[in-house]
Amino acid sequence: MVDLSVELGPLKLKNPVLTASGTFGYGLEFEPFFDLGSLGGIVSKGLSPRPRHGNPPQRIAETPAGMLNTIGLQNVGVDAFLSEKLPKLEHYDMAVLANVFGETEAEYVEVCKKLDGAPGLAGIELNVSCPNVECGGIAFGNDPRALASVTAACRKATGLPLLVKLSPNVTDIRETARAAEDAGADALSLVNTFVGMAIDVEARRPVLNRVSGGLSGPAIRPLAVHMTWQTYNAVKIPLMGMGGITCARDALEFILAGASAVQVGTSNFVTPTSAADLVNELRDYLEQHGFESVRELVGSLQVES
Amino acid sequence: MLDLTTSVIRNLDLGHGNYLIEFGVPDSIQQMKPAQFFMIGTPGSEPLLRRPYSVCGLNGTFPDNQRGTAQVLYKVYGKGTRLLSGLGKGAELQVLGPLGNGFDLPDTGRRALLVAGGIGSAPFPLFIRHLAEAGHPAPRMIYGARSQGDLPLLSWFRDSCEEVLLTTDDGSAGEAGRVTQPLERLLEQGEGERLHLYVCGPDPMLKAVARLASRFDVPCDLALEAPMACGFGVCLGCVVPVHGDDGEVRFERVCVDGPVMPAQRMAW
Ligand SMILES: Cc1cc2nc3c(=O)[nH]c(=O)nc-3n(C[C@H](O)[C@H](O)[C@H](O)COP(=O)(O)OP(=O)(O)OC[C@H]3O[C@@H](n4cnc5c(N)ncnc54)[C@H](O)[C@@H]3O)c2cc1C
Ligand SMILES: Cc1cc2nc3c(=O)[nH]c(=O)nc-3n(C[C@H](O)[C@H](O)[C@H](O)COP(=O)(O)O)c2cc1C
Ligand code: FES
Repeated sequence: MVDLSVELGPLKLKNPVLTASGTFGYGLEFEPFFDLGSLGGIVSKGLSPRPRHGNPPQRIAETPAGMLNTIGLQNVGVDAFLSEKLPKLEHYDMAVLANVFGETEAEYVEVCKKLDGAPGLAGIELNVSCPNVECGGIAFGNDPRALASVTAACRKATGLPLLVKLSPNVTDIRETARAAEDAGADALSLVNTFVGMAIDVEARRPVLNRVSGGLSGPAIRPLAVHMTWQTYNAVKIPLMGMGGITCARDALEFILAGASAVQVGTSNFVTPTSAADLVNELRDYLEQHGFESVRELVGSLQVES
Repeated sequence: MLDLTTSVIRNLDLGHGNYLIEFGVPDSIQQMKPAQFFMIGTPGSEPLLRRPYSVCGLNGTFPDNQRGTAQVLYKVYGKGTRLLSGLGKGAELQVLGPLGNGFDLPDTGRRALLVAGGIGSAPFPLFIRHLAEAGHPAPRMIYGARSQGDLPLLSWFRDSCEEVLLTTDDGSAGEAGRVTQPLERLLEQGEGERLHLYVCGPDPMLKAVARLASRFDVPCDLALEAPMACGFGVCLGCVVPVHGDDGEVRFERVCVDGPVMPAQRMAW
């Protein structure tokens, strides 16, 4: 029997497979497809102090092996999450993480304080990188000082395991990774979506209403694996890797590059069972290759020097 | 909701880029309502996302179908529909469904008037069967398209409806012009009091019909389209602006709050 459990600092997971923020609703939407308890955990849609309507359509566009989105962080707000969504997830044996964003540092802190101590909540993931909304995070995720400041402020606001989700839209992700580590993050999630754009050449207009959007899906996987490897070699805290993961082989790339756990995002839209399938495939891989624990593989990439 | 792996039974080329594909489905799918839809994926990794298609027929909708099957009527537009059109008997399909809300039958005292634009006729065969099974009289239909070739299943509709009024942009079949022309005439004759409009087609057509419905105060349900990534409510990619009960404009998801929405709720 292989051991799939992992630890990311204070966050203990029974297996390393989670679902990524914004791609899994509040979890409940997937109940018809599989037992949510088969996952290591789920990450909620980004939560703000008050509900948000999000951006006008067109909000999504398919691109080669990926998709662009400008959802605009539409969400029910932290209060409704706590009263209506979280209690329904409590009976599942898996970790529920709340993804948090704000337009100001004070808003991040406000949401973290409300979430602190909520029954059934395993941790908080700060979205400092969403490229969608005008002030919604872009300044934090791209500026190591602002990032350090918001991380430190949220660190004070909650005793829950605190993950910072890094933006890939930076020159050197190691700088922001170190800033978050120094400011007290327990672990890092990477990556969020890459800013991208698609143009309808017949109409000579952008496909998306907001012109640019976040690129996700298999198209970004090599970029995300590279950033995971870079970050693994730059910080000591554990990593949660994501970007275009569809199956165990994809997930293993991140794990070998240094991720202790992974998140499945866009693939949930295409194959609703993909995260649950991945857990089984990962177990098979470990058995077939004679590993006792997935932890043996984390960062075990062999590189010729 | 099921995510099933099934296979193509046949994929009929109806000409002018229109196809009727048939595949096996379990009994639970036979309960689908008209204008509910499937997200269908074809073998291979491209395109990444599945595509939404309305259920067109189930057991008994078309006389020559096998039992335990569903039919989808589609038109080739881009990558996904082109791939689908190339599939032959036995090819594998990933089919997620039933999705969305679907058409309800008209209230007593009103008769269904179907308004279809081109491939927008896809949800109507099943709807016509549902009307018949519920003891409603055969509906009338206004069927418009760019040109003669863009009116798939026309002879089936002629056999199954009380009357089909045709319009084409180029005048190659029926009246030259838009579906709103015959519709406006009907409504001006005072028929609106006894009608319930069911509309499916391109956005500009939906908007024009919705305006007429509002002017003549006729109940009108629209089967909407939107780009979709998931089809079951989680990506929030498919929203349209609607008037909430509180009068405020908000975004609702076409895939779970629709695809059928009352015309007067739209905040286009
Ligand atoms: C709820 C719902 C039900 C649907 N039911 C049906 C159905 O029963 N039969 C059917 O044929 N289609 C139906 N559609 C539309 C169908 O999903 C699209 O035609 C399909 O996704 C196109 O995929 P593609 O890969 O071929 O085109 P893409 O490569 O995605 O697009 C190619 C080009 O065609 C344009 N395009 C795409 N779809 C349409 C469209 N519908 N009208 C005009 N231009 C378009 C795109 O903007 C793009 O420029 C439905 C859509 C929804 C949301
Ligand atoms: C439609 C959509 C909505 C998303 N919403 C959020 C969000 O609210 N908060 C967040 O931190 N990331 C959000 N993301 C980013 C994903 O969590 C993930 O980081 C990214 O999509 C890369 O993973 P993937 O390629 O597996 O999708 C969203 C992504 C998509 C596609
Ligand atoms: S298509 Fe994903 S929410 Fe409607």
